Formats: sequence, structure tokens, C-alpha cells
Amino acid sequence: MTKSNTGMVDPQESAAKELKTYALGFAASVLLTGVAFAAAISDLPAVWKVGIICLAALLQIVAHLRNFLHLSFSGGQSREDLLLVLFSVTLLAIMAGGTWYIMADLGGRMHEKGMMPHEASP
Amino acid sequence: MSASTSPIVGKLDWTVTPYTDLLHQVNSSTIVGAGAASVLVLGAVAGGAVLTWMRWWGPLYRNWLTSADAKKIGIMYIALALVMLARGIIEGFVMRAHQATALGTLTEPESGLVAPDHFAQLFSTHGTIMIFFVAMPLLIGLINFVLPQQLGARDMAFPVLNQVSLGLTAAGAGLVMISLLIGKFGTGGWTMYPPYTGIQYSPGEGVDYWLWAILISGMGSTLTGMNFAVTIFKSRAPGMNFMRMPLFCWTSLCVAIMLIYAMPALTVSSAMLALDRYAGFHFFTNEAGGNMMNYANIFWMFGHPEVYILILPAFGVFSEISSTFSGKKLYGYTSLVIASMSIAVISFTVWLHHFFTMGQSAGVNIAFGIATMIIGIPTGVKIYDWMATLWRGRVRITAPIVYLTGFFLLFVIGGLSGIILANPSIDYQVHNSTFLVAHFHNVIIPGVLYGMLAGIHYWFPKAFGFRLDERWGRRTALLFVGGFVFTFMPLYVLGLMGMPRRSPTFQNPDFLPWMYVASFGAVLMLGALASLVWTFWTSYRNRAALAVPGGDPWNGATLEWSTPAPVPKWTFARIPEVKARDDWGETKRAGDPWKAPEGYDDIEMPADTPHGLLIAGAAFALGFAMVWHIWWLAALGFLAIPALLAWRGMKVIEPRIIPAAEVEEADRRFRATVASLAPATRADEESERNRGRPDLAEFAG
Repeated sequence: MTKSNTGMVDPQESAAKELKTYALGFAASVLLTGVAFAAAISDLPAVWKVGIICLAALLQIVAHLRNFLHLSFSGGQSREDLLLVLFSVTLLAIMAGGTWYIMADLGGRMHEKGMMPHEASP
Repeated sequence: MSASTSPIVGKLDWTVTPYTDLLHQVNSSTIVGAGAASVLVLGAVAGGAVLTWMRWWGPLYRNWLTSADAKKIGIMYIALALVMLARGIIEGFVMRAHQATALGTLTEPESGLVAPDHFAQLFSTHGTIMIFFVAMPLLIGLINFVLPQQLGARDMAFPVLNQVSLGLTAAGAGLVMISLLIGKFGTGGWTMYPPYTGIQYSPGEGVDYWLWAILISGMGSTLTGMNFAVTIFKSRAPGMNFMRMPLFCWTSLCVAIMLIYAMPALTVSSAMLALDRYAGFHFFTNEAGGNMMNYANIFWMFGHPEVYILILPAFGVFSEISSTFSGKKLYGYTSLVIASMSIAVISFTVWLHHFFTMGQSAGVNIAFGIATMIIGIPTGVKIYDWMATLWRGRVRITAPIVYLTGFFLLFVIGGLSGIILANPSIDYQVHNSTFLVAHFHNVIIPGVLYGMLAGIHYWFPKAFGFRLDERWGRRTALLFVGGFVFTFMPLYVLGLMGMPRRSPTFQNPDFLPWMYVASFGAVLMLGALASLVWTFWTSYRNRAALAVPGGDPWNGATLEWSTPAPVPKWTFARIPEVKARDDWGETKRAGDPWKAPEGYDDIEMPADTPHGLLIAGAAFALGFAMVWHIWWLAALGFLAIPALLAWRGMKVIEPRIIPAAEVEEADRRFRATVASLAPATRADEESERNRGRPDLAEFAG
């Protein structure tokens, strides 16, 4: 029986391509994780370290979504995928932005000197 | 607990059971503790004995524990929830009994049934159990049972993942249960705020029990959310577009979205606390740049969507029963859909109202206070919609309708006290008092508990083939309503009189009369629990008289009522072609709804597998070993889970094929049965004449 709106593909045909996508995603993820660790160990200033780790994390999210979760903005499901990404980004922005808003306010009320914990300690 | 860690049994030794405490000192507190442990041990022994005596181990394993059928998984979730509910209600009763005897004097400041530390364990386990191991499994179980049937799907999108989710939830519940016998549970309340729950102030196993129960079961809930979402998006029957879905499916979709986005926040906050406790991190400590306020922030980022995860399925149930039992179409379908989705999104913007008093400036509090008041609006829309559905309908006062009425009366009061608390300046006055305790019980009991019990009553015949006894169902409902009113209304008064929540003792004798009223309410709650058990038992004994082989005992309008009761494992002999909202109702209106389909096909079902059971075992071993620092077992459990996944991934697994002939034979038998039944009118609904074939002339939904 055919399943409607599942977008199932022939397994034989796409197996090789699938495998390549997964391998690429895996390699990218390992590399980006390595970059994050390297940044943490390095002697860079703290702001740079945090920036690099955040960037590596974001890129890794993109790699996971593209290569493992088959998210794409072209093809049969592009509209659903776009809505999913927009919705997720909205909710994550609420959470991250809200945390920033609340914790920065609390920090200000406690006369915290900077956002970085080690700068605040004497 | 021993001071040193043994490499083989970790921190475990013979002094960790409550019996040791009883031997050291005999008083009411240690007797209660040892009694609870004994109930657990005796219950387990009795359960095992019954299973052995009746030779049920084999059937239990083959038909239930290894089944990947969403309907059976749903029933197992609900069974787990009811067991945990019994413990939760009894704990609530013990706490009420304690506080009724807890008036301290100058000479004896601490009195009462249990010791203060024991009391703290009671309110911590009560909260943890009621939220994570009663409310969540109840609603996830009900959705598992109902959702595929209402969508016209055979099963969930990922049946084996579903099994794993159940296993993880059960493993978490098992950890909480075993803390009765081995060691102690945490004393930090169900939220376990650091720094109190950090390693410095709470050494020992208590907080770890909570952490691992939450980490493991939380993972299960996240996976469940994904499963629900994919099922709703991908497994609907042909023609079942979104605006034709029954409202329960819509609220399930909202729940799925919230589970996916909210549960990870809980996993993150618990994992951070675990790192603090086990690995010397400083996320939430006082020193080294830690900030314990961020725990409250992340926890409630999960915690607030969670309360709507709990309430929305109940809203779905009330939408279904208000329509069915008043014989009318649901009023304001579109507005209910919009309201549900609005709640799902707005619920992510209000979390700060759980910690208004933490010290942020007034502007921040106001922003979240306003968001909190806004979320009351869609909920209000829903209440009006259900009342309008009942308006001028032919309402039958069945047990679900009694729950619905109790919900109307009490939930609105709870919602109003919530709007009061949404005002930060008022919250400053009553926060951390029993006013708050009264408020959240006032939304969760009439909302979640009544909704889920109404749903169980409503769909029970679909699961087991016979109705629940209406008279005992109504008595249970009334006892739960009365029990609620007497237990929690006094807590509003006590909170306004200034009684702090979670206090093991108090010195103001004015509190005492209200405490007695609340204890009477707790007795009623125990009575309601007993009455609930009796409802199941007496209905089981009268199952022949209450049988509804026709499958449609309430003259329903949604797809699940088109199948036999009990519903066969393949659910639909042929996947229906949906042509309208309330498709089964439209089919009834068009004439002969029980017409046989034109042909039958082989049906592909997921094969039974012990995969979920094995993963649950590994997860339980991991959690228990981490709690007691048994590192070799923890490593084993931790490695077993990916090993099991890889093992299953490498196996070739053939689905089970049910031949068309078998389906056809069963389906023809069902249709012959329906044809032989006399149609039952609305007036006969509660009598033995209701065999599950309603009088179509009366259908007006």
C-alpha cells in the first residue's frame, strides 16, 4: 500500500548517496567539535574562545540538520522544512533572549562587573 | 550509608533501608517509613506471586511487554500512572495527617506524625511522582491509545521508539519507587533548586535519585513528543486534513510541540546539576562564578510549558465528551484550534512568573506578568466553547460529564487565582505560601486528573470491550470533587493567613481548624481512590452485562467509534477514506455506517520485540548505579544502550503480516454482530440494552 505524503524514496537508488551525506556530516561534526576543544585549550582571549565555540556549535547544528535530518529548502518538503526552522528559531530565540534578558538584569542588580564569571570574581 | 565507596557495591550497605532507622528509634516517623517500604516489598512479592500462580508471566511478556502496538503501550502507560497515583494520593494523605498534628509549642517546637526530614521527602516525592509519573504517563498513555485511532492510522509513526519511551518512563518511575526501600529521596521539593541540592548542602543519594529519574524519563518524554508529531504530520488517513482532525488530535499536536521544545530544557538543567554534583562543576554553586538563579531560569523554561503539556490533553478530552454526551457538534471548532495553538506558543513566554521574587527589576516582572495574563484569554475562550456545546444539548449525566462539571466549577476558580498570582506585586505577598499550593492543585486536579479520568471512562470500552460502571464512576467523580474542595480550599485561607508551604510545623493555633478540614478532604481523596479501584473491579466482574461488542456505546462522531470493542490490533480492517470532519458521524447521517469495505488487504504490523524492555533495564541499571556510585554497573548500563541500538540496527527485522483472509473473517464477524444487535436509544445508554450499537435516528452530532 502506498503511503500518502511520506515522500518515501527507493532505498536501492539512494543508498550510496545517503551514505556519502552521512559520512560528510560525521566528518564535519568531528572537525567542528575538535575546533571547539582546540579553542578552549588555546591561549586566545576569553571573548574569542566563547565566540569560536558558539560559531562551531551553530555550524554543527546546521551540519546535523542538513546531513542527518535531511532538512532542505528545495524539493518536496521545502515549505514544511522552512516553517519548522522558522518556528524552532522563534522558540529558541524566546528562550535564549529571555535568559539573556533575565540573567543580565539580575546581574546588573547584583553589581556584577561583566558577563564573564571569572571577570566578576576578585 | 557507608563513608567509603566499595568498588563492587558502591555506597550501598545494609544500613540504607528504613528498617535500620526503625531499629535505631521507634516513633511514628520511622514506622511510616518502614511501613511504606513494606507496602512496596509486599506489593512486589504479591504481584510476582499472582503472576506465577496464574501463569501470567508468559502472556505478560508476549502480549504486553514486548508489544509495539501503540494501544497496548498506551494502556501500560496508564496502568503505570494509576499505580503511581495510588502512592501519590497516599503520600498526600500522610502529609495532611502530619500537618493536622504539627502544631508546635514552645517546649516542643517540632511535633507531628513524621520527622521534618521525612516530611521533606514526602513533599518532594509527592510532587515528582504526581507531575512526572502520574500526569505525564496518564496523558501520554491516553494520547497513545486514542491518537492513531482518531487519525485513522494503524499505529504510531515509530512503534519501537514508542516502546523505548515507555521503558524509559518506567525506569524513572522504578528509581523513585525503589528509593522507598533503598536509601532516601531528595528533600529539595519537586523542583530541586540548588544551591540547597548541590553536593555541599545535600550530600548523599537523595537528589541523585531525582536527577536520574528525571534525566531518564525526560529523555523518554522527548522521544514521545517527536513520535506524536511525526504521527500527526505523516500518518493521517487519506482525506484527514488538519482542519478535519478531532480536537483531541489538535491538543496532542500542541503537546508534541511542547514536549519537543520544553523537555530538553529540563534535561539540560538536570544534567548541569548532575555535573555540579558528580564532577565538581560550578554551574549553580555559590563560589567559582556559579549562579544558582540560572537553574530556576532553565528549569521553569521547561516548567511552564509543562503545565500546558499537562492541561491540553485534558482540554482535548473535554472537547470530545462535551460534544458526544450532549449529542451536539462541538461549538467553535476553529476557535478551539486557534486557542490551543496560541496556548502552545504563549506558554513559552511566561516562565519567569514562577520566580517573580528572585530579585530581578520590576520591568522584567511586569513583562512576564502581562504575558501570563494574556495566556488566560485562550483558556477562557475554551471554557465558553464547551459551555456553548452543552447549551441546549441533550446532556446525559454520565461520569465524564460529572468530571466536566466539576472541572468547570473548580478550574475557573483555579484559573482566577492564577490571574491573581500573575500580578507581581500580589505574588510578593503570597509566594511560597499555601495559597500557591492551593492554586496549582486547583488547576492540576480539576484539569489534568478529572480530564484524564473522564477520558479513561470514555475510551475504556474501546480498550477492553466493556463499559465502566456508571454509578460507581459518578460516585468516584463526586468524591474527587468533594475531596478536592475540602482539601485545598482551606489552603487558600491558610496561605492568606501567612502559612508557608512545605513547613513541617507551625506555631499559630488559628491554623488548626483549617488543617482539620483539609485532613477531612484528604480522607475523601483516599475514598475517591478506593472508589476508583472499585469501579474497575466491579465493572470487570460485570463485564458480560457491560459488554459493548458493537463498539460505539456513546453514539460518537469520530473515527475510533467505527471499530469493534475491544479494538483489534490492526485497528481498522481498511484504512478509512475521510470525507468530513467528524467522519463517522457523517457516515451515520448518510445511512448504513456499518457497511463492509469493498476489499481487504494484507496488513503489515510491527513485529514484537523486547528492545524497549532491554533499554529500560539498561537505563534503570545506569540510573541506580550512578545514584549509588557503582561505577562498573553504570559503565555497563551506559554502554549497553548504544550497543542495543547498534544490535537492532544490524538485524534484519521482518514486520508481521496479517493475511487479508484473517482480517476479512474478523471484520465480517464484527459486522454480523453489529447487525444482530438491537439499537440502543439514549435513554438506554446506561442499561444492559446498550451493546454498542446506538440508535442512529438520535444522532445529532
